[in-house]
Amino acid sequence: MSWLSNLSTLFFAKKEIRILILGLDNAGKTTLLYRLKIGEVVTTIPTIGFNVESVTYKNLNFNVWDLGGQTSIRPYWRCYYANTAAVIFVVDSTDIERLQTAADELAAMLNEDELKDAALLVFANKQDQPGAKGAGDISQALRLGELRDRNWSIMACSAVEGSGITEGMDWLVVSY
Amino acid sequence: MYHLAKGLYRLATSKEEYSVILLGLDNAGKTTFHEQVKALFHPDRPEPKLKTVPTVGQNVSTITLPDMYLKLWDVGGQLSLRKLWQSYYASCHAIVFIIDSTDIGDGNLEHDSSGRLDECRLVLEDVLQNSETEGVPLLILANKQDREDCVEVVRIKEGLVKRVFEGDKASSIRDSRVLPVSALTGTGVTEAVDWLRSRMKWNKESRPPVMR
Repeated sequence: MSWLSNLSTLFFAKKEIRILILGLDNAGKTTLLYRLKIGEVVTTIPTIGFNVESVTYKNLNFNVWDLGGQTSIRPYWRCYYANTAAVIFVVDSTDIERLQTAADELAAMLNEDELKDAALLVFANKQDQPGAKGAGDISQALRLGELRDRNWSIMACSAVEGSGITEGMDWLVVSY
Repeated sequence: MYHLAKGLYRLATSKEEYSVILLGLDNAGKTTFHEQVKALFHPDRPEPKLKTVPTVGQNVSTITLPDMYLKLWDVGGQLSLRKLWQSYYASCHAIVFIIDSTDIGDGNLEHDSSGRLDECRLVLEDVLQNSETEGVPLLILANKQDREDCVEVVRIKEGLVKRVFEGDKASSIRDSRVLPVSALTGTGVTEAVDWLRSRMKWNKESRPPVMR
């Protein structure tokens, strides 16, 4: 009977894998989204609402949602949690004052029941800028070591230069 | 009445859950081993995903065995990530320490320090010395036994493991075993899980499982 399941995967190979890109405002979510989509840096404006693109990476089709990160619109993130396979959480590694806020937002998000099986990939973004904290410091600030029931990974990256992004996405593909 | 029925249902369907942490240097094969276990005990028997990337963080899974749930924590082994390990010690029921048998010289601490043998010893001693791992069963896996340039399991046992255990840093008595595996081909993976299963149950008194 295994040929039957093989056949069905052939037909349903284009199943949607939903990924959310979240993080505080000015973290670099939109830049990351278009880096994934077209491999280029685009000029962005603060996102009010969302951007959604389908991204193909290593034969997998992702539906990637980039949601606005401003304080006033963060409460709307939860409307998108259902059926999410993975969350990409982007952190501005130079914005040390707001790391605590980022940690709190992340913790609140991971507490949601709808995200209990979602993998977590953290991008410590803006590594091209002076004073950027490394992945180790960011993971400590976000208290990632305390997560026990979740697949998670952190990657230092620069969405502008394109470094670190494939490493992170490779992990996502394997863990998915 | 509902609560009684629910309680009985819970009692009849709940199982013990045991947690295992996979430790070892980077590139030892922890994630590959983890993938093999996941594939082997999955009801659909999927192909294991053997193309792994270095773990920076944690991969976690729970497999269902007839008599228990087995939770596996696969954590990063790079130097900078090893400080995360200790936060798991208090809640794990067994430790698996994986060694790359092709990267430890000739496997004998007495006369060879090529490869990463000494690093391996230091890291292993560090794990054993932590008070929170006291009495926890320890399974050492000599991985990559499919490769021709690997050191045999007997020599790893005599040259490394025994010396660490008999040294002054070994502290308490615990259940331990050295087994050969090839995470890549899957050889020895079932035996490793079997060993863990029996030892965690024997150690139930001092590290009780979680009911789920």
